[in-house]
Amino acid sequence: MTTPAIELVGVSKWYGGFQALKEINLSIAERERVVVCGPSGSGKSTMIRCVNQLERHQRGDIRIHGRAFGGGARDDEAIRRETGMVFQSFNLFPHMTVLENCTFALTWVKQMPEAEAKRIAMSHLERVRIPEQALKYPLQLSGGQQQRVAIARALCMQPRIMLFDEPTSALDPEMIKEVLDVMVELANTGMTMVVVTHEMGFARQVADRVVFMDQGEVVEQAPPEEFFANPRYDRTRMFLSQIL
Amino acid sequence: MAPDHTPAPPLVFTPRPSAPPPPSTVGVMGWLRANLFSSVPNAILTLLGAYILYVFLEAIISWALINAVWDAPNRRACLDAVGRSGACWPGVIAWLPNLIYGLYPKDQVWRIDLGALILVLWALPLFLPRVKSKVAIGLTAVLVYPFLVSYLFLGGEKGWIWMVLVAGSLATFFWVWLTAISEMRTGQGFIPLLVHTLAGPDPVPERARLVRQLAWAALFVTALLIVSRWQLVAVPTRLWGGLFLTMVISGIGITFSLPAGVLLALGRRSSMPLIRGFCVAFIELFRSVPLITILFMFNTMLPLFLPVGVEVDRLLRAIVAVCLFAAAYMAEIVRGGLQAIPKGQYEAAAAMGLGYWQSTTLIILPQALRIMIPAIVGNFIGLFKDTTLVSIIGLFDMLSMARAVGEDTRWLGLFIEPFFFITMIYFVFCFAMSQYSMNLERRLGGGQRR
Ligand SMILES: Nc1ncnc2c1ncn2[C@@H]1O[C@H](COP(=O)(O)OP(=O)(O)O)[C@@H](O)[C@H]1O
Ligand SMILES: [Mg+2]
Repeated sequence: MTTPAIELVGVSKWYGGFQALKEINLSIAERERVVVCGPSGSGKSTMIRCVNQLERHQRGDIRIHGRAFGGGARDDEAIRRETGMVFQSFNLFPHMTVLENCTFALTWVKQMPEAEAKRIAMSHLERVRIPEQALKYPLQLSGGQQQRVAIARALCMQPRIMLFDEPTSALDPEMIKEVLDVMVELANTGMTMVVVTHEMGFARQVADRVVFMDQGEVVEQAPPEEFFANPRYDRTRMFLSQIL
Repeated sequence: MAPDHTPAPPLVFTPRPSAPPPPSTVGVMGWLRANLFSSVPNAILTLLGAYILYVFLEAIISWALINAVWDAPNRRACLDAVGRSGACWPGVIAWLPNLIYGLYPKDQVWRIDLGALILVLWALPLFLPRVKSKVAIGLTAVLVYPFLVSYLFLGGEKGWIWMVLVAGSLATFFWVWLTAISEMRTGQGFIPLLVHTLAGPDPVPERARLVRQLAWAALFVTALLIVSRWQLVAVPTRLWGGLFLTMVISGIGITFSLPAGVLLALGRRSSMPLIRGFCVAFIELFRSVPLITILFMFNTMLPLFLPVGVEVDRLLRAIVAVCLFAAAYMAEIVRGGLQAIPKGQYEAAAAMGLGYWQSTTLIILPQALRIMIPAIVGNFIGLFKDTTLVSIIGLFDMLSMARAVGEDTRWLGLFIEPFFFITMIYFVFCFAMSQYSMNLERRLGGGQRR
């Protein structure tokens, strides 16, 4: 069996006395596309943020391509670089142009010459279909455009895994589609993706597996057809009846 | 009757062009009407305000200019000529060198002028277009210029370490201008240009390094030759004074307080208890004591703690006190700015693989400092004015010099005029700082507002 891209083994996480993740076990294969859903406060963000260690878990193991976090800051940084992340609130750097947002980690973290960084950044901006906005500042763009820039920015670092935490939740309805289209295209290139979202159309179209979480636990997981057609748990059914 | 099933053709929506605003709301008349005469009470207030302004300005102008005496041997002559209805400027004019340079020897003040000129020249490339190495030039102005200028001001015997530092500083000054000129003319820095012309467009690294080292060596030797010819007599700091001293203290205070304040603010947010504890203690201690007390403590108590024989210059004591005080205040301003940056910015930086120092210096501080410009410059202005307090410990800043005019037997009792004059000087400097800060805000804020 090949090493999974992401492996969570008995991962628990507490905020003070409150347990946000309860012994999560989850294994995601390379090139697999997983959609994570569940009610608000169920621990979806906490879990996905543990995958790149924006939040530290307190018990259990998280392995990325077979390498576990926790072996020193330098190793952790290197492991983290295998992942790219897209946030609900975009989190673009407002003091840099779109292009600088994309190039700056290449020049500072990867020490790449400016010209090459620019070339890579432009190729990813073309991929998300906004090369013409490269010299604008993020706040001059619409929400949908900003989120696409955020995707391009993450892709510039050439991650093998992309993490999305509710990428369309902060968008007006007419912009959701442009972002989802970009994500569908990305999925078609074979990128390993973990997407927290309530866009069930997206889940049906691209997901290999849907994971349902509640109260810090993975309740059930199944391929989308099965997940939507006959969920096994009452909790899942209730959730689906509320959002569909 | 059978219902008609053919759908009606869709209506076509054409947006109408925008109309010009009503004439009464635009232009000078519109502005006057909207802001000064919008209602009867507003019109009355406007007229009243204009009247008060007129009375006030008229009084000041007739005292300071129209009735003023410009030429007189002493205050008696002024009073005989116009009484108290006009200003007596000859006293201020006679004392002008002291108001500006303190007791610095008259034949040596060119050193102060030269120091100021060098500073202006050093900073000038920062405002020139097409100069790319602005960050490096700015950093050298803060970190390297002080060596050159402190020798210029202090003079005296120089050991070889001093010589090397001063020569290095001068060499850097040459580098600044050579770089600025070559970047403006060729778009390439001076040293890269030399490497390019001497070692070819695509040189082997060793050769490029050799050219670079030779270039610096040549600059340094030139500077050393110049510096070794300087024979500057020593001017002890107790002779420093006037605007010059004010500028020295506040200049050092300002340049020290910003980086120190940033470090203290970062330390206060650190997760390491020892560092956090130290920063909190430092900030709270210095913020809860008046500057005047700190000056006193440093002046009178520091010598008690130092080993016998170690003498710390009085000016240095004042400067250290001002720096530490200003740093504590700056730290709290910076902390406020840091808190305004959303957590998502740290997270996005971390998710892209940036470490703590990279995300702090590249992502967080540039944004935070931008928000803080008004508060930071406000603090600088406060510091500039607070330096008047050093007169308490016997340093002759501009304020003490102004007081000395009225104690001179020729100009006995002449207080208002020198104070009026230094008020103007303070105003010019503070107003310039404030205007510059607004200009900076406008330029840096470009493209970031919604
Ligand atoms: N920084 C935090 N401090 C304390 N509690 C938190 C923090 N972040 C999240 N939580 C709690 O953890 C639980 C899971 O949160 P989260 O992972 O954000 O849920 P989701 O993304 O599924 O809506 C929630 O109950 C939330 O209140
Ligand atoms: Mg969430």
